Amino acid sequence: MTLSAAVATAAPAGAGARAGLSLALAAVLATGAWHLSGEAGGSRLALSLVFGALFGFVLQRSRFCFLCVWRDFLDQGDPRGVLGILAALAAGMAGYAVVFGAWLPDPSGTRLPPGAHIGPVGPVLALAGLAFGAGMAVSGSCLSAHLYRLGEGSPTAPFALLGAALGFVLGFLTWNPLYLAGIAEAPVTWLPRHLGYGGSLVAGLAVLAGLALWLLRRWPPPPRSSAAVLDPLHAVFVARWPTWLGGLAVGAIGTLAYLRLGPLGVTTEIGGRSRQGAAALGLLPERLEGLDGFRGCATALRDGLLTPNGLFVGGLVVASFAAALAAGQFRPARPGRGHVLRGLSGGLLLGWGAMTGLGCSIGTLLSGIMAGALSGWVFGIAMLVGITVTLRLGRRLGLSA
Amino acid sequence: MTTMRKILFRSSLAGAALAALLLLPAAPALANAGATSAAVPLRDAEKSPLVSTEWLEKNIDSRKLRIVEVSVDPGVYERGHIPGAHTVAWHTDLVETVSRDIAGPEKFAALARRLGVDRDTTVVLYGDNNNWFAAWGAWVFAQYGLVDNVKLLDGGRKKWEAEKRPLDTRTPEVAASKFSVTPASTALRARFGDVLAVARKEKDEKILDIRSPDEFAGKIIAPAGVPELAVRAGHIPGSVNVPWGKAVNPDGTLKSVEELKKLYAEAGIDGSKPVITSCRIGERSSHSWFVLSRVLGYPARNYDGSWTEYGNAVGVPVVNLAGTVWGGK
Repeated sequence: MTLSAAVATAAPAGAGARAGLSLALAAVLATGAWHLSGEAGGSRLALSLVFGALFGFVLQRSRFCFLCVWRDFLDQGDPRGVLGILAALAAGMAGYAVVFGAWLPDPSGTRLPPGAHIGPVGPVLALAGLAFGAGMAVSGSCLSAHLYRLGEGSPTAPFALLGAALGFVLGFLTWNPLYLAGIAEAPVTWLPRHLGYGGSLVAGLAVLAGLALWLLRRWPPPPRSSAAVLDPLHAVFVARWPTWLGGLAVGAIGTLAYLRLGPLGVTTEIGGRSRQGAAALGLLPERLEGLDGFRGCATALRDGLLTPNGLFVGGLVVASFAAALAAGQFRPARPGRGHVLRGLSGGLLLGWGAMTGLGCSIGTLLSGIMAGALSGWVFGIAMLVGITVTLRLGRRLGLSA
Repeated sequence: MTTMRKILFRSSLAGAALAALLLLPAAPALANAGATSAAVPLRDAEKSPLVSTEWLEKNIDSRKLRIVEVSVDPGVYERGHIPGAHTVAWHTDLVETVSRDIAGPEKFAALARRLGVDRDTTVVLYGDNNNWFAAWGAWVFAQYGLVDNVKLLDGGRKKWEAEKRPLDTRTPEVAASKFSVTPASTALRARFGDVLAVARKEKDEKILDIRSPDEFAGKIIAPAGVPELAVRAGHIPGSVNVPWGKAVNPDGTLKSVEELKKLYAEAGIDGSKPVITSCRIGERSSHSWFVLSRVLGYPARNYDGSWTEYGNAVGVPVVNLAGTVWGGK
């Protein structure tokens, strides 16, 4: 979608009503957070809701979608979106390093910083990344983007999320053999342990800078739109943000969320509920070997109705809906057979990849790389390979545009 | 005022007098403890096993005081702890990680040195979940001779947070101590043979099982979701069931000495016979061990093998009130 299209659909007709509805949704979120924070031990839940809403707002406003930005780069040679992802990683890396330094002054021992998404690195992780990337190419985006697109009225997103839930169950079913074959003894590599915080940060930023320089070979990018937006309200609430701005915001939210709650991730709730459902139906193996001992978007069985990650995801969807409404980008469409098929099959791959890789493009890739985990890089590279190969194959077979 | 600055300030100041002033509980606290000792466990007094949140906040800068958090949930300490508190991970620092045992003498001495703890240091332990693992910490510390100087923060993390007292996210730095390696005392720990002797009525001691009534009766082997299990359900013959939580008020503080005495007397435990505390893996029972041994002064030992050792043992007597018997479907 182009900027001009977005601006065009945000025509004044009904704009007032939409803005009113957006404000009402924002008020619902604020009331929810206020109500939660008043309950015993509810401040964590309230904060999860607030961070989720901020994250959803930023994702929707800056179109922070891993597949879209990669496709822009592959097809049109436009590197701006990918640069935005790099900005998120750089900001988050710096933020995490500051937090880590206070929490775990000596990274060289056997401890890992609490809760950080630092996972086992091996062929299974690469396989998970490939599957996740393929799922993105088939279904049209990654899980976080499907969540914010749910708020934009996407006809594919509901089926992709349903497919992902099934994919999680499939992941649980294949977990035990994969764990024994390739995860149990896979190294959990945390770069600051080997390089120190300073070394790890400098090395990480150097890699990102190298990638950015490589991307900038394609500068200047093709013009997106000539319409200069001068009205600040329009710039914030209607026009697309540049991805770099969204990236910096994602880096900041990632750091603050880790400081107060835990690393960003969107699959804990989906995975946990899938596990709960599958366990209730008797579909799960009696024991998932070693699974609950790993970092990442843990899929432990839920006990409460309201969980931090559930509220995070809920806040994300509601806020992106409000943002899309205000911007005139809420365009619900009746799902056709293609939407259902692509959503379900792509979602299945997304779910399997996210379960097996202990997280998705947010939990394993973003939060992992920010934390200095080798697993984040490996998952990210495999994911890009998965997307690229699947897109090219799909086009060759005439299945996708 | 930062913790670092506090430390620098303190070390630059040869403040022996100041330290003594800060460490010694103020006269009102002593008087208070003396006046109410009949109703509540001694709190804040020099010899008390418990300190109040109020006392701790007042004495937080004392040089000979070390505050140590032992929480179960990862990340709880890092996201905000009592200013100046150190952290100890119970599942790596206080145990052997390959064999099942408490931390060995070398490992414990290394931990004490890291924390800057000497034999005359006052250590205040606290943690989440009503001080479960802080109490386990106190039990491990006690086996290495750190008994009277090791106290629990009454109400633990929960009360400190509920009172909206300050938290800090920075990790304090202290100079390492020269804590010497000594073997662990065996007097505070019950082993399988001790418990079996009681079960077979060869020894006249009491066993206090602090698990839930359903676990005690054998309806369930363990609470849902825990990985450590036993092959049989039920309890050790001759044990009585007082769930650990009955010793605690809703705000997380321990009940008064009178209430505690009454609670255990109703189960036949009055301090006249040695008591062995037991649970599933020995952690929650160290909470009851602390209450019996340190607060009430009863002769008590903790059986850390607990049901995951006894319930897996071959050829030992078991009481299963619920009648859940082993068998295929």
